[in-house]
Amino acid sequence: MLTALTKREEDWMAGVIKEDEFARYMSGGRDFIDDDLIWQKLALNARPEKRKVREIIEKSLSITTLEPDETATLLNVEDPELWQEIFYAAAEVKKKVYDNRIVTFAPLYGGDLCVNNCLYCGFRRENKVIKRRVLTLEELKREAEVLAGQIGHKRIILVYGEHPATDAHFIADAIRAIYDVKVKTKNGYGQIRRVNVNVAPLNIGDLKLLRDVGIGTYQVFQETYHHDTYRYVHPEGTLKSHYQWRLYCHHRALEAGIDDVALGVLFGLYDWRFEVMGLLYHALDLERQFGIGPHTISFPRLEPAANTPFIQESKYRVSDEDFKKLIAVIRLSVPYTGMILTARESAQMRREVIPIGITQTDASTRIGIGAYSDRYTEQESERQQFLLGDTRSLDEVIRELAQMGYITSFCTAGYRCGRTGDRIMSLLKTGKEAKFCKLNAVLTFREWLDDFASLETKKAGEEIIEKELEEIRQQMPEQVFFKIREFYDRIRNGERDLYF
Amino acid sequence: MANETFTSELVKEFNALAEEIKRDYGVRMGLVQVWGKRHSYVAGEWDNGFLPPEIIYLDDSYALVSSEWDKIPEEKRTDIVLALRGIGKEKSFR
Repeated sequence: MLTALTKREEDWMAGVIKEDEFARYMSGGRDFIDDDLIWQKLALNARPEKRKVREIIEKSLSITTLEPDETATLLNVEDPELWQEIFYAAAEVKKKVYDNRIVTFAPLYGGDLCVNNCLYCGFRRENKVIKRRVLTLEELKREAEVLAGQIGHKRIILVYGEHPATDAHFIADAIRAIYDVKVKTKNGYGQIRRVNVNVAPLNIGDLKLLRDVGIGTYQVFQETYHHDTYRYVHPEGTLKSHYQWRLYCHHRALEAGIDDVALGVLFGLYDWRFEVMGLLYHALDLERQFGIGPHTISFPRLEPAANTPFIQESKYRVSDEDFKKLIAVIRLSVPYTGMILTARESAQMRREVIPIGITQTDASTRIGIGAYSDRYTEQESERQQFLLGDTRSLDEVIRELAQMGYITSFCTAGYRCGRTGDRIMSLLKTGKEAKFCKLNAVLTFREWLDDFASLETKKAGEEIIEKELEEIRQQMPEQVFFKIREFYDRIRNGERDLYF
Repeated sequence: MANETFTSELVKEFNALAEEIKRDYGVRMGLVQVWGKRHSYVAGEWDNGFLPPEIIYLDDSYALVSSEWDKIPEEKRTDIVLALRGIGKEKSFR
């Protein structure tokens, strides 16, 4: 039995879900996740032949989305040598589509009020040990000032629970406030240039509010694609218990004109192979109905949260070995998509899986409400949705990435010059976006090194930049090389935000 | 629906103009819709040469993107902008 909602909460909840805004995307009253069919495909493709697996890998390397039978085949591989080939191919796909750059971002939790009661979530309504707080616009600006002015982030993901106090109007104001922040840095200035948003499924009118203020990506995780599990972990009577309202929120976002949408699963709620199939079906339905697949896919694993025993009890928690496999199979199944690995994972796990296809990660992460400007360094479970596995600074993470041969990118250019929607899909699939990635990574990394890096990190970063510039000289047209040299020198002289 | 019809008319007009510009000057252009910082793709292509994009605002809602805008004679550039703005004047963008 849930604790009573306030009248305000009840009234607000009654107006959120709009039947016609998801029903029109369904076929014959059914959504695109057929649980029985997924299990059937997993069973039918058991014990695959090596030849068949290698053919599927070849298809992925041509940057083509796999069919469900093909993904099911990969998920059934048992031969360790064949898994090594899959890991190797996943790395190749990533290199083809995004080159050797890793984009960094920071999550910014703006509030933890929520009308839902999800069994796995520290912010669930009935969890009395959580300290509830919603940042004011001024407090949000202070968070953004730390992120942009002291740490050096240029891209954030703004996170809210589902609550009338933080509805779409509030979130739109929050995005505007964050974009308004501009702070002096050592050699230039810092700004948040892209605000992505992770919030509840919204209706089309509300999505247009976020579109109008210049949202980056609209990210919503289905959490689990398995209908019965979804019903179990999202208690009846809550907004989140409506499977289809959530499932079709990316369709609504695309309809509203937000043409960068992001998918995700909370791994550990149900069988990981089933969930990977669900992600693929989701990507395929978006491609089929809009010609635009997911901008990114996330794959967080259940992590401990305050007073949330469900997490320890789940029998579907994903082992490290299976985690690597699911990342590689997602990489091969939806080869054009960005893949986000977060600080939920330990530093060691991040080192191991970044090479198999990761394109984005966070660092200097604080997920407590107001945690960046409060400057607390220890994790506090009663003010966090879950506990982090990696609390290293951005400087440390960037240095390590550089030592691993990756260039950190703070690029936010694409969505500010029309490389969105089906245009970005085309550029990704043809490998052209990788070239923009390299150019913009060099420029934004230079900005960060000049403004924020420690001496040790600066040295490691500059070695990477030199290598990248040499590759650009060798691989790109002469006029492109001249232009990047010009931009690069201007950035060294304190100009900011020059991009290709 | 009215907005969708208008957008498709705009795209049609834009594509015809972009084709003409490409033929006459070898310059590619794109059309984007402006939502604050977000500039969402509508039509065309301009990014095959990997040069920095120049954004030419038609009004609060739409902009042209081109990496080679300055290769077009100045007078023609003005004509292009005026032609596209002219379409916009006929109906409300939003």
